[in-house]
Amino acid sequence: MTWHVAEDDLRLYAQGELAPPLLWSADAHLTGCAPCRARLAAAADPVALDDAWERLDAELDAPRPSPVERLLVRLGVADHTARLLAATPVLRRSWLLSVLFLLVMTVLAVRVADQPTLFLVLAPLLPLTGVALSYGPSLDPTYEMAVVAPLHGFRLLMIRTVAVLTAGLVCDGAATLALPGYGLPALAWLLPALALTGTGLALSTRLGPVLAPALVGVGWLALLTVAKIQTQAHGTLAPFTAVGQAAAAGVAVLAALLLYQGRDRFDARPLGGFHDGGVV
Amino acid sequence: MTTASASGPVPGHSGRVASGAATVTAADLSLRFGGTRALDGVSLRLGHGVTGLLGPNGAGKTTLLRVLATAVPPDGGRVTALGHDPGTASGRLALRRTLGYLPQNPGFHPDFTAFDFVDYVAILKELTDRAARLREVRRVLEAVNLSDVRGKRLKRLSGGMRQRVALAAALVGDPGFLVLDEPTVGLDPEQRMHFRELIAQAGEGRTVLLSTHQTEDVAMLCHRVVVLDRGHVRFEGAPAELTARAAGRVWSSTERDPSARAGWRTGTGAFRNVGDPPKGADLLEPSLEDGYLLVLDGDGDGDGDDAAVAV
Repeated sequence: MTWHVAEDDLRLYAQGELAPPLLWSADAHLTGCAPCRARLAAAADPVALDDAWERLDAELDAPRPSPVERLLVRLGVADHTARLLAATPVLRRSWLLSVLFLLVMTVLAVRVADQPTLFLVLAPLLPLTGVALSYGPSLDPTYEMAVVAPLHGFRLLMIRTVAVLTAGLVCDGAATLALPGYGLPALAWLLPALALTGTGLALSTRLGPVLAPALVGVGWLALLTVAKIQTQAHGTLAPFTAVGQAAAAGVAVLAALLLYQGRDRFDARPLGGFHDGGVV
Repeated sequence: MTTASASGPVPGHSGRVASGAATVTAADLSLRFGGTRALDGVSLRLGHGVTGLLGPNGAGKTTLLRVLATAVPPDGGRVTALGHDPGTASGRLALRRTLGYLPQNPGFHPDFTAFDFVDYVAILKELTDRAARLREVRRVLEAVNLSDVRGKRLKRLSGGMRQRVALAAALVGDPGFLVLDEPTVGLDPEQRMHFRELIAQAGEGRTVLLSTHQTEDVAMLCHRVVVLDRGHVRFEGAPAELTARAAGRVWSSTERDPSARAGWRTGTGAFRNVGDPPKGADLLEPSLEDGYLLVLDGDGDGDGDDAAVAV
């Protein structure tokens, strides 16, 4: 053994107050280290020690968390929240790789055409799509169990939304760094991304988790088409001008307010139905 | 929801509860989707123990279970379960805290292990304290005899084992009301037998509603049975009462009797007929299945129709 559990950690462990990931390290170490087990016995009263052994037993029963969960816990996310996020379909590696591939291709196309418009059009759609695919019956196989769980539907939605939005924005942000020649205007996707995602969520309680983001996405493309028609050949499209950015910020705030106001609807009835085509 | 009384006897039905007072009542539930009335004035009362919900495909069983499990609100009528009214936000939350639900097609995250999955459901059930949660996950996995495969990924488990994992998830938190939607579908006879034992254990001291196609499940597990057909309750009572519906109305013949409401060839080669027997017919001891067929054919609690039974 090259290390032993620190005295303070051992005391917290005996009291059941040692938090992951230190808890996992202590568990793993105590199973193989007789001296530390003896110190634990000396540091704890018998009742607390019995509890600790029972807890250790249960910990040993639990399979090792996935690398994503371990990373999230190390970043300070509570272990139960990390597990909820691990069950989010679009946080899986396959989805993230698809997004990265799409962004790389877009960045390459932008460099060839020497025009950032394609990237600015596409980037806001990625968080919108990701968030739309992170809840609802179409991609979440345990949706029906989640609907009847006491954990508030809005809370689960927000936990997943924040995670997916963060992942989407980080991907978009990384792609922006690959376009340094365009400076700040290359970040003009950010506010539309927030506006589209917020609007898609706010509308989903009325239109369902598929139709709402689909309509918002189509609306975004329609808006850009109109803007393109009204803009001269190399001019900036209206949504990416200062006025357009202010409008996007306003829409994002309004959508957030509407979403919060309608939060209980996420709990009262399922969004869009069940994966077997059942009733809504 | 309307405010129909949930405390009195259910109109049109016996209102008998085999063991003690009603713990779950539904009064005049209706739910329409598209052009279909999935539930049309459904009323029932459940007590402790396992109640079987029988009915053909499209009878509305899954919809009824979803309404009782708070997955879907009804268009009309009222539910009271374990003293909670799921028509209000606070009542719905209180009921969800004491509810176990096994949907007809429980979905799984394939990369989760059995332990991960039950742990995930435990978190959805607000068990956030890690030590308490792990103890509970271990307890329910032991209860369904899956401790040995807790670390296996779900995609590597058999269908029967996955159903047991889903049952374990439903049992997290020791729920007072357990709603099981066709949990024995797709299981082989041995797995089905094992699953029935688990459900029988789960029924001790709690209210269990079990939806099934199989009269065998009801005969072996349930102290009470409800027959649902096209959104209507056709029968509510003890399994023995359902069997008694067919007393003197089951007979044997060498050829299919055209006067029978239903008839089928048995293992002996003779035909088993159900309906109004001709004089001098060779009467047979009725089974639960015979009573069920007759109830579906319009011999129910009064609002059945004369639709033919396909056998």
